[in-house]
Amino acid sequence: MKFHQSICPRNCYDTCSIISTTHKGVLISVEGNPHHEYTSGKLCPKALDDVKKVYSPQRIRYPMRQRGRYSGFWERISWDEALTLIAEKILSLKETYGSSLPLALNKYSGNFGVLHNAMEGLFTGIGATTRTVGSPCWSAGVEAQTYDFGTFFCSDPLDMAKANLIWLWGVNPAWTAVHQMPIIFDAIDGGAKVVCFDTHFSATAARAHRYVQVRPGTDGLLALGFAKVLLEENLIDSNLSSYTLGHEEFFHYLENEISLDNCSEITGVSISTIRELALEYGKTHPACIWAGFGLQRYTNGGQTLRAIDALGALAGHLGEQGGGVQYAQFQTWRFSGAIQNPAHPFNISSNTDHPSIDSLTQNQKQTDRLLNINRFSEEALSCTDPPVKILWISGRNPLSQDGNLQQWKKLINQLDLIVVNDLFHSKSSEAADLFLPITTHYEHWDLNAGYWHYWVGVNEPAILPIGESRSDIQIAWDVSSKLNELEPGSCIFPTSGDEKETLLRELGPQMLDILGLKKPEEILKAPVRANFPSTAWENRIFATPSGRYEFFSSQASNARLSPLPIFVPPLNPSIDAPLRLLTPHHYSTINSQVYASGADNSDYVLHLAPELAQRHNLAVGDRAQIWNKSGLLEVVIQPLLGISADTVIIFQEQVEANSPLNCLIGTPLTDMGQLILGAPGFALNETFVNLRKL
Amino acid sequence: MVKQLGFVLDVNRCLGCGACAKACQNRNQLAPSLVRRKIRKIEKFSKDHIEMFYLSTACNHCGNPECLRVCPSGAYAKRRDGIVLHLSEKCTGCKSCVASCPFGAPLINPQTNKASKCQLCYERLDRGMPPFCVQACLTGALRLKELKDIPDNKLLRLTAPAPSLRLTRPSVFYKPPRATKVSGFLFPK
Repeated sequence: MKFHQSICPRNCYDTCSIISTTHKGVLISVEGNPHHEYTSGKLCPKALDDVKKVYSPQRIRYPMRQRGRYSGFWERISWDEALTLIAEKILSLKETYGSSLPLALNKYSGNFGVLHNAMEGLFTGIGATTRTVGSPCWSAGVEAQTYDFGTFFCSDPLDMAKANLIWLWGVNPAWTAVHQMPIIFDAIDGGAKVVCFDTHFSATAARAHRYVQVRPGTDGLLALGFAKVLLEENLIDSNLSSYTLGHEEFFHYLENEISLDNCSEITGVSISTIRELALEYGKTHPACIWAGFGLQRYTNGGQTLRAIDALGALAGHLGEQGGGVQYAQFQTWRFSGAIQNPAHPFNISSNTDHPSIDSLTQNQKQTDRLLNINRFSEEALSCTDPPVKILWISGRNPLSQDGNLQQWKKLINQLDLIVVNDLFHSKSSEAADLFLPITTHYEHWDLNAGYWHYWVGVNEPAILPIGESRSDIQIAWDVSSKLNELEPGSCIFPTSGDEKETLLRELGPQMLDILGLKKPEEILKAPVRANFPSTAWENRIFATPSGRYEFFSSQASNARLSPLPIFVPPLNPSIDAPLRLLTPHHYSTINSQVYASGADNSDYVLHLAPELAQRHNLAVGDRAQIWNKSGLLEVVIQPLLGISADTVIIFQEQVEANSPLNCLIGTPLTDMGQLILGAPGFALNETFVNLRKL
Repeated sequence: MVKQLGFVLDVNRCLGCGACAKACQNRNQLAPSLVRRKIRKIEKFSKDHIEMFYLSTACNHCGNPECLRVCPSGAYAKRRDGIVLHLSEKCTGCKSCVASCPFGAPLINPQTNKASKCQLCYERLDRGMPPFCVQACLTGALRLKELKDIPDNKLLRLTAPAPSLRLTRPSVFYKPPRATKVSGFLFPK
């Protein structure tokens, strides 16, 4: 038996440190690393299926070519054939258009390991190409917190155990960040009270002392209502003037623009509840708010986060041990960027204020054509000089997750070549010409950081690659090698290399300093916690232009946003589509990444308020249709507690349905995201549908 | 001294995440139909409270096991630490235990046509390690304890509400659930 260090690379709060066990070269079990203080020896049910996933019979083991898109006629080809096909196509397009811009990469968070940035490196090595910019996930909140705090940072999640009051706001850790729950329970055992604000009675709400239903998209107004009560009751921090900017203007806004009657009417929370909760929040120290990602997936999402931050500041909870307003961080992601910048491997601007998980936004070559990842198909279609002709999809499944599928269909028709590298077939590979099989994190080296906890660590290969699968970085080297073989000098990305050496080069002087290491090799021993203070903003010295917490932000003003956090209503439903559709994560999946061997359900389950079900004469298990101008979906009915009658929810479960859930989704954008991530975020929760019984 | 090991579940820490059930299934390499541990969701409402919690259940390693009583071939044994063991080599696959267990714990293994049930990972316990389910529990909700050490008033027998079910004296206890206070919406009728 041999033991290996692994790290779960999915886009998840927990980024778990795993001990994998092999016997005679076979992976036999995975367990949480007991020496990692956040993973604490435990894994979520998703990761517990990793052994099955690695050896799944559904896993693609060889390069495949599809004879006719959507035909399902896949034939096995050799790596040399696949690489030649790709390289020849790239070179011939360059010849035709005199540019490499027809080559587009659509990559995001399927695997957050740093070596996966080799795909960006390959594209940079080829020349100016078409890329995505921005994030489908957290953009509005990231930017909001940057206006308020100056940079994007949160406390060590273990700090929450010290809270006396915890507000879980639009976050469902019982399903999506399970390692935080024992920390919250420890706080409860120490006497803390937990309040959960959400659109529905979640598994997390069930473990809280109190659940408050908030009408979707109105959380910012609720925060401003709480702030108004704090002001009226004089529960504001008396030291505000020493470390904040613009509190007088904010008070003025609260006094003149916010009324509790209006707040109660719009949010659906009664005035007495608003008062009671505000008083509790103002009087209890330390008090922590955890603001979830779902809160900011609205057209007013950035304002919502700014309003919640302002509430925390007003009550004096910022910088308080066990307090604060926690969202996420990317301060532990200050890798050197050597991989994605092959031309200048030793000339990286490591002192950038905004390091980014989205490596593209950092060190992006000016000449690349940048398309908002959330409107990729529309923006790619509008590119004509030259048009997009090759699409490489890596670490993403846009045909299952993006909005505006009609535009995607048009784009697919225009493309000469679609390449997908993945573990399994997906909605996106149905449209692909080539499928390149990749390794799991048990089969390659990698380097991973969390965006919630402060840990960074190395992922060692535990087993040899399954079948002919190759790591993303190996594929990038191989494509470069083939390009250079066919046309010497056509790609400056390395043509070969060593995964371990490459990952060590990602630990530049700044990362070594953050991790308290002298040499990069020291990280090979065990994961390391970044040496940041456990409590964010503990000295109340902020990274804003003023060095203060900014209620009034000139940066926001410069970006043509309100300098103060304000309430902007979310989109309204129309007569044609009167119900808001929310599509939160399910405990068994991360977006379209699934873990079980097969789907449990053949249809999506529509969760709705019992009174809404009654109105449509629908009972449990009945079949119904939801539709809007984008598409139509058949669903099975399941009433849900604590949801308002104008909202319906479909959790993103693995389903063997004919139409994907995103057939109903357009591409509404968030109010913020452009400044920090290069593009606004995806206002996914501004989706509306109609309902009828079948 | 005779002991009685049993599962104690703190329902206020249980997320219903199913890590316990998955660890049992995967680490014991059970066929998909051999589900030894299940999660049940319980919901109760009052005017302004919701009680929603999960029961993670497996073989209860009863103090007075019905499987052991009815088995005609002596394929069940109770260890001194209270674990009810199924002895596969003596089992004839007659299904008496499957029919009589009030909790549906023994199931027929489709590969051997013999009964199969939770053995409380006794081989791991004998080496000082926790059962897979307890080891996997993320929040410490599911624990294995010597039941005689726990004061009775701290525990509930939610698993066996009917008096007839208590006859087997299931060695499983639950801490009383705490309801969530809610406001601002209607309950189903």
